[in-house]
Amino acid sequence: MLSRVADSVFWMARYMERTNGMLRLLRTNYISSQDEVKDFTWQPLLGTYSDAEAAVKKTLGNDSPKVLQHLLLDRENGASVCNNITHARENARAVQDHITKEVWQCLNDYYHLIRNEKLQSQIKYGDPVSAVDSLIDHGMLYHGTVDITMARGEAFNYLNVGKFLERGILSADMLLIKMKELNDELKDKAEVPALRYLLYSLSGYELYLKTHRGNFQADYVLDQIIYNENFPHSISYCLKQLLRYFERLETESLPESYKELEFLIGRTMNIVKYSNVKPSDSEGLKKFLHQTRSELFEIAAAFNKYYFGNS
Amino acid sequence: MQEHSLLANYIEQPRVWDEMFSAAGIRPTYQHFVSAIQNLSADEMTHKDELAKKLFMSQGITFTVYSSGEGIEKIFPFDIIPRILEAAEWKHIESGIKQRLKALNIFLKDIYNQQFIIKDGIVPAKLIYSCPNFVRQMVNVNVPFDIYTHISGIDLIRDHDGTYYVLEDNLRTPSGVSYMLENRSITYRIFPDLLPKNNVRSVKDYPDLLLKNLVALANRQKSDPTVVLLTPGIYNSAYFEHTTLARLMGIELVEGSDLVVDNHRVYMKTTTGLKQVDVIYRRVDDDFIDPLVFRGDSMLGVPGLYGAYRTGHVALVNAMGNGVADDKAVYSYVPAMIRYYLNEEPILKNVPTYQLGEPENRKLVFESMDKMVIKKTNESGGYGMLIGSAATQKEMDDFKIAIEDDPRSFIAQPIISLSSAPCYINGVLQPRRVDLRPYALYGPDGIDIVPGGLTRVALKEGSLVVNSSQGGGSKDTWVLG
Repeated sequence: MLSRVADSVFWMARYMERTNGMLRLLRTNYISSQDEVKDFTWQPLLGTYSDAEAAVKKTLGNDSPKVLQHLLLDRENGASVCNNITHARENARAVQDHITKEVWQCLNDYYHLIRNEKLQSQIKYGDPVSAVDSLIDHGMLYHGTVDITMARGEAFNYLNVGKFLERGILSADMLLIKMKELNDELKDKAEVPALRYLLYSLSGYELYLKTHRGNFQADYVLDQIIYNENFPHSISYCLKQLLRYFERLETESLPESYKELEFLIGRTMNIVKYSNVKPSDSEGLKKFLHQTRSELFEIAAAFNKYYFGNS
Repeated sequence: MQEHSLLANYIEQPRVWDEMFSAAGIRPTYQHFVSAIQNLSADEMTHKDELAKKLFMSQGITFTVYSSGEGIEKIFPFDIIPRILEAAEWKHIESGIKQRLKALNIFLKDIYNQQFIIKDGIVPAKLIYSCPNFVRQMVNVNVPFDIYTHISGIDLIRDHDGTYYVLEDNLRTPSGVSYMLENRSITYRIFPDLLPKNNVRSVKDYPDLLLKNLVALANRQKSDPTVVLLTPGIYNSAYFEHTTLARLMGIELVEGSDLVVDNHRVYMKTTTGLKQVDVIYRRVDDDFIDPLVFRGDSMLGVPGLYGAYRTGHVALVNAMGNGVADDKAVYSYVPAMIRYYLNEEPILKNVPTYQLGEPENRKLVFESMDKMVIKKTNESGGYGMLIGSAATQKEMDDFKIAIEDDPRSFIAQPIISLSSAPCYINGVLQPRRVDLRPYALYGPDGIDIVPGGLTRVALKEGSLVVNSSQGGGSKDTWVLG
């Protein structure tokens, strides 16, 4: 497979995964902003998902409709959902002969959906939740289309490698955002709603309730998001899937490239596996999350170098 | 002729050859087709028209127009009424194009090598050396099997008496062949059963024939040489065609940055390292193909590709430098080439052409500018063109000044009244002007022309310009067996 094609498929998957994560996070954050949470702030989220200048972020302040517009629709914001979808589509367009026609058409429709004026005015003046819901639904359609139509070949493997890598990064990012929102104090009882919202954003609330029967504790939440191998958004799960799809590439890899990546993924998995984070030690937790993140970025850089031919 | 609302409003035009009607009624080629559709209600026809549009859109047969950073998807307008050619007509066209291509191909070989045609005084040296598309780098380069024009699209038009004329030889990177294939697949859907009943010859062999020719050009002793299609990328208006052809042939679609040249060999960058490329079907123009030799600011080409080509390690389709043979001023010498190289009389006529480099021609043309089409020798797509009958005095004056400045770059031709064909527009059949572009494939085993081609239509009433960039559309083209 052409390096450029692998690169484009990988990034198409990353942009789509990021889109999904951002939409869910924005949805719950918006709801919580309306739910009279004390000292609610958009700033940590803006810090991660906006590349605007600090002054711009400051003027946006805590004005929820404006912040939503900026994060969803603003073309000037390089990290906005709108730009993510556009990038995903551009990547798909360049590899049309390696993804199925259905996947291409689905992404093409997604692009037309977010540019739809009705949807945009609903975000600006109506009920943003229903607009975000319809965007999330279309994202689900994409995942289903990929699952049902794509051949289980090289392209599918790169697609999944990108997807799980991005998802791991997202989970780490979201934890960091919540830490910031809580001023790094996880153990305080009053902060429980924020963690509840975090689980909502990661579609993990139901699993938590089933496992812990309403016994809401920060260390259980952390455990689920970092270690639970049945939770599709946990960092451990993402790494396991990343390795799984990467291993399928072995026959189509140069041995030395394969070895490099195998080493990096294995190292990251061990760092996560043999870590010990506690809500009481927020400094340690932050250090761990930053380390995991940079390990994941290193894996992405190694793919870029050894598989996509960009040095 | 049975009266029917569909046909009732069909206005005959004086001194225009109509593909469907003659003075005596419907031509025999169209009779089957007309009897099948004449009893359809206007609703049913409109439904078919809408179905065709929907199929194009949903199958993504679109091109993207970029304006203010936003891409808009558009479909190439398609008219549902096919253009029909009878077997004898096609035979004439086929043999004419084959003859012409043989001569043009020998001309390219000659002009980049011994130049006998200049030495024998058939074509003036000045004309060749003043042509911006004469690529000096191609002099004394050996190309595989001496074939330059692997893929060509010859534009044909018909005058009021039905005679076919060659309007242009497109020998560089002719486009539109994917529409020939897609138009046919849409016709299957909207007119069930009509194709087999009319004994229409199939066009679906095109990708197979092309791939066979491409594979045959490979220079390495290998059973499965690597053939790629080089595209300028997703922003090119013909990108859809590039993906379609790559998919139909099962070859890799590459961009310039996917290829590297090392030691005069071309490689593509894959996830498993470099893989040598044997044949490149390129859809990038000469000017952009190698920044080391041609335009240095090109981001679309591959540095060093020319060297690899010259040393024979990679085959390019089409060859570089073909522009000298489809230059509009050189065009007027094609009949002479056919006589000189093949010792035959041309089967297909040329449109009479005045080179404005000659002072007496200039005088003649300026006197009767309203009856002339004036074209820039180096432009296509309906740009740089003036149709005398439709031009204002100011436009004519502007052209005169431009011509006096640089007479070599202009030619003039008498206005040929293109033939018309019925189109389904606003619920009735209306005549619109058409041309015909069959696609010829020149391989080591000879020339193949798939029976059919792209019929382009000037959708504006009375317009003579069929180019898609100027509001033209297309039709399916049937050749009866």
